[in-house]
Amino acid sequence: MQFDPMRPIWLQVMGEIETSIVTGVRAPGEKLPGGRDLAMLYGINPNTAARVYQELEKAGLCETRRGMGTFVTGDAQRITELRIELARQAVQEFMVKIDSLGVSKEEAVKMISEME
Amino acid sequence: MLESRELTKSFGSVVAVDHVSLKLEAGHVYAMLGPNGSGKTTWMKMAAGLIKPTSGQILYEERPVGVESRRHIAYMSTEPYFYNWMTIRDVGRYYEDFFEDFSMERYKELIGRMELREDMKTRTLSSGMMAKLKIAVTLARDAKVYMLDEPFNGIDLLARDEIRTCILQFASEDKILLLSSHLVEEMEAVADRAIFIKQGHLEEIVDLETMRTEYGISMADRYRQIYGHEEVTSNV
Amino acid sequence: MFKLMKYEFRKTQATKLILLAIIAIAEIAFLIGLYGNYDMTAGLSIVALVFLSFLGVFVVGLESITILHRDMNTRQSYMLFMTPNSSYKILGAKVLECGLSILLAGAFVFALGALDITLAVAREQGLNSLWEMIQNFLSHITINGRQLEIDAPILAATFLNILTSWIMTIVSAYLAVVISAALLNGKKFNGLISFVLFLLLNWGAAKLLGLIPDTMSSVATLLVYVAVELVLSAIMYVVTAEIMERKLSV
Repeated sequence: MQFDPMRPIWLQVMGEIETSIVTGVRAPGEKLPGGRDLAMLYGINPNTAARVYQELEKAGLCETRRGMGTFVTGDAQRITELRIELARQAVQEFMVKIDSLGVSKEEAVKMISEME
Repeated sequence: MLESRELTKSFGSVVAVDHVSLKLEAGHVYAMLGPNGSGKTTWMKMAAGLIKPTSGQILYEERPVGVESRRHIAYMSTEPYFYNWMTIRDVGRYYEDFFEDFSMERYKELIGRMELREDMKTRTLSSGMMAKLKIAVTLARDAKVYMLDEPFNGIDLLARDEIRTCILQFASEDKILLLSSHLVEEMEAVADRAIFIKQGHLEEIVDLETMRTEYGISMADRYRQIYGHEEVTSNV
Repeated sequence: MFKLMKYEFRKTQATKLILLAIIAIAEIAFLIGLYGNYDMTAGLSIVALVFLSFLGVFVVGLESITILHRDMNTRQSYMLFMTPNSSYKILGAKVLECGLSILLAGAFVFALGALDITLAVAREQGLNSLWEMIQNFLSHITINGRQLEIDAPILAATFLNILTSWIMTIVSAYLAVVISAALLNGKKFNGLISFVLFLLLNWGAAKLLGLIPDTMSSVATLLVYVAVELVLSAIMYVVTAEIMERKLSV
């Protein structure tokens, strides 16, 4: 994975995992790689990897079971919320881009509805 | 903990390391950065006990480095240093003879991952292969401190990923990793702290994720800020 | 310590094998001379064997010094100084390996000589000329101006003295090399100064040995020499190791 070195790396890895949860690449209740394995998988510092799980846990997206590892949340409601959060983020990024091009929100909505 | 206090080394009139005080703590991967000749290698060699300081101290677990600390500090120098009669197998045996924390099994595994063979003569290795061998034999030790001087030097792009993985595999909460490189980008994600050395002085130590969060800049950006006005000859 | 010695031996093994090969050639020449009734060949090869054993001791010592020089002044130094071994051990392994090599080589040459003489005795006709050659050769060796009388204690003491005096020479060379690498590194005339130092150390040692009164029997005198040489070697060894431990940067 190619990182943007100007943004916190834990945030970028977290984003990746969130996307994989929403898209179903990682199923609810699925076991996630251990901290060290995550670090090796993404080529990141182990402390960064630990931070990723801390933040995912804080966001209610995964849970650590003592002695067993870290698992994707089984809470379908939470995953649905996440889907909406991520979609909002995408829309927001889109809006910023559209705005910088001098296109109004209404025009943009029209364009979207005309798209196949 | 590996700590230097007002550590200074001069060679004749040249001051290579100039009153550097810094502490390295277990559980972190440090990137030691600075152009060639800024004193990184000299600092590491003093920590390895190969070079004696002109003044100041270098302490491992509160005691001056020496014979005892060499049991726990694995140092990899930039230059090749094996005896010219050695094969890759002989290099492993040498380490096995002298380091209690060396694992032949782990060495063999690393040699395989680096696509080297045990019967190869060190004398005939290409610079890239030699670089891999040095890393393999150093990481085959279960040391408390690893100091790797320019681990990515002479290593092609694909093998760099493998080396990064190996390094990360052996990083853990009770270990210190210190990597120097002028290939700053290679270390962005691996390191969590950066030590900037400028003309023998300690410029600063930063926590990289904090820096990214607070200032939105990368390690390479900070590198350019610090050394930008110097002629950047080393950032190849 | 044993492991360090093993690698010290590995560094010198090529030279030692070459020396052994040359000695083997001389020995074969002797055997051919002996059994082919070529007295001249047998005699010359015996002289060659004696000469070679002295040369061998010299070469082994010289190589040990150049290796130490390389072990302090090239990248190769990391191999020794990254290991958790004190300078005392690193240096000690070198001295012991060198001393042991000379001792073993001496024992080997002695055994070979004994074998050759036995063989020569067995072939009576060869004996007379050979014995003359040996006596002729030995008559050129004198100790303290006295003609050497050949008997076992004297031979043993002489051999011991050669060993210890040569070890002392080597240790003094070690000291000079280490001073050059640790204290004078980068200074002008570094090599010259350390060479002069080496000469001075040996001159001093010779002066000291010269003070030993010559009133005892040859064997006793030789044994006093041996003792003095060992003490001087030990002192220089400690000084050298201390300098390495405190000052040497490789």
